[in-house]
Amino acid sequence: MNLEIAYEWLYRVALTVLGGSLFFSLFRSIRGPRIADRIVAVNMVGTQITIIIAILTFMMGEGYLADVALIYTMLSFLAVVLLTKVYLGVYREHHEKKQQEETENA
Amino acid sequence: MLDWLRFVIAALLILGGLCFVISSVVGVYRFKYVLNRMHAAALGDTLGILLIVLGLAVINGLNLTSCKALLLVVLWWLSSPVASHLISRLEVTTNQHLEENMAVKTESDPHEEVES
Amino acid sequence: MAKQRNDYENSWFPRLQRWIAQGGTKLNDQMTAELSEASDAHRVLSADDMARREVEQAVHQMEIQEHEAVLYEKAHEWGRTKGAKLIRAFYAVLAVALCVSVIAVLLTTVSNLPSFGGENNPINNEVSQRYIEKGLQETGAVNIVAGMILDYRAFDTLGESHVLFIAACAVMILLRLSDSGDPRQLSRERMEAEANDRLYEPKNDIILQRVAGMLVPIIMLFGIYVLFNGHLGPGGGFSGGAVIGAGLILYLNAYGFLATERFFTIRTFRAVSFIALAFYALAKSYSFFCGANHLNSGIGLGTPGDIFSSGLILYLNIAVGMVVACTMYAFYTLFRKGDM
Repeated sequence: MNLEIAYEWLYRVALTVLGGSLFFSLFRSIRGPRIADRIVAVNMVGTQITIIIAILTFMMGEGYLADVALIYTMLSFLAVVLLTKVYLGVYREHHEKKQQEETENA
Repeated sequence: MLDWLRFVIAALLILGGLCFVISSVVGVYRFKYVLNRMHAAALGDTLGILLIVLGLAVINGLNLTSCKALLLVVLWWLSSPVASHLISRLEVTTNQHLEENMAVKTESDPHEEVES
Repeated sequence: MAKQRNDYENSWFPRLQRWIAQGGTKLNDQMTAELSEASDAHRVLSADDMARREVEQAVHQMEIQEHEAVLYEKAHEWGRTKGAKLIRAFYAVLAVALCVSVIAVLLTTVSNLPSFGGENNPINNEVSQRYIEKGLQETGAVNIVAGMILDYRAFDTLGESHVLFIAACAVMILLRLSDSGDPRQLSRERMEAEANDRLYEPKNDIILQRVAGMLVPIIMLFGIYVLFNGHLGPGGGFSGGAVIGAGLILYLNAYGFLATERFFTIRTFRAVSFIALAFYALAKSYSFFCGANHLNSGIGLGTPGDIFSSGLILYLNIAVGMVVACTMYAFYTLFRKGDM
């Protein structure tokens, strides 16, 4: 058993398993009953994609893909920060308006 | 011989990382509430990515690309807890039926609790 | 308007005319005093007279204004009702006609393109061979793509950066809360917009602030690294600028608008965009005038693989990166706050 074939099989197994878990995380983001479920699933998808890009960096021998993985990390963190902030603001505004209407009606 | 040793160590590390990723996905499916699922999702963020990147660094030696991958791990470790904090704050603020899912602590003086 | 006076015949000029007409006499003291002042400001009226005169003047003014208001209404009535409908219909017809004509022109052009993969297509000529073979020698950039977009085809990238700037201008025209001049109305608009968008959002989260304080410098450094290495590896102006813009947005989310306005206001945006685009235009628009011939920029090519190699490409990358970063930040604040 050649060493290179062993390495190739290792990479292939890792990539296949990660692809499957990616698909399942996406399914959770479609199905999750609450909004926070979906944001958690999107964060997990980001993690797994970063791991896939890191594996591809060393599998293909291209050094610049590590930079791509770093950029993806930053962007996924920024996405979670923005999503929670905007949604919390929208929810609170909706809630306060409903409460104001209730106190006016009552 | 040394090459095979390197392969075995790297394979162990990468497969260990994959086990953590699989268990985080399984946990996200099996737990019942968001705040519990977040515990499971954090597994993949922390130990999953560390073990896989360490395995890859063992394969390729310590050159610039492996140092960038280790910097990747440091960045994830800095940003993932903040993301969990923000998501949990969102969930606690927007959920109006929080008592169904967990024990909500009422406002009480912490010194009183320590005494009793 | 001058004060209304009903005693013109008693003022100094008609009396002078009458005095001249009757032959003129010697000036006595009273006449001298009147002529020297040349106005009747010294004539003291009684209080009743002055009050009556002011009331008459006020009534006269109000009548004139009402009359003008009625005339204004009549003149603009057609414009407000039927004229507005006519103009809206005309605008709709013209907009549809313009869109259809542009679509027709584009479709005709596309259908006249050569078929895909033909041998005599312009894309399969000797230009790409030349770029690949002599790209490193002539531009000095290890990354042939950067050498192509910033040296051989620098004029196209000039158009692209200007497109970014125009997009930011268009968003500003559509979304910016206008300074309509009336300070009370402006503040009410702003307060409504803020109440709608940002009053209920979480602010000053201490965990996010501490971690953003550590992460934003790292992100900015990484963006500058990607920017500077455009000619040595993948990266360059557009991607480096996007990373710097993302760092600015993270800082804004963690610390709020007031803290960010300390170093990035609309003046900064205008200054940085203008300087970057003007530098690029001055450096590379000579191809308009020289018939697309290549001129040496005077900066040496250096050894490939160094940071300070490949002539003007590094500085053009920095200019493009600055424009992209400012544009991304501008989009974010215009969509969230309506202003910068």
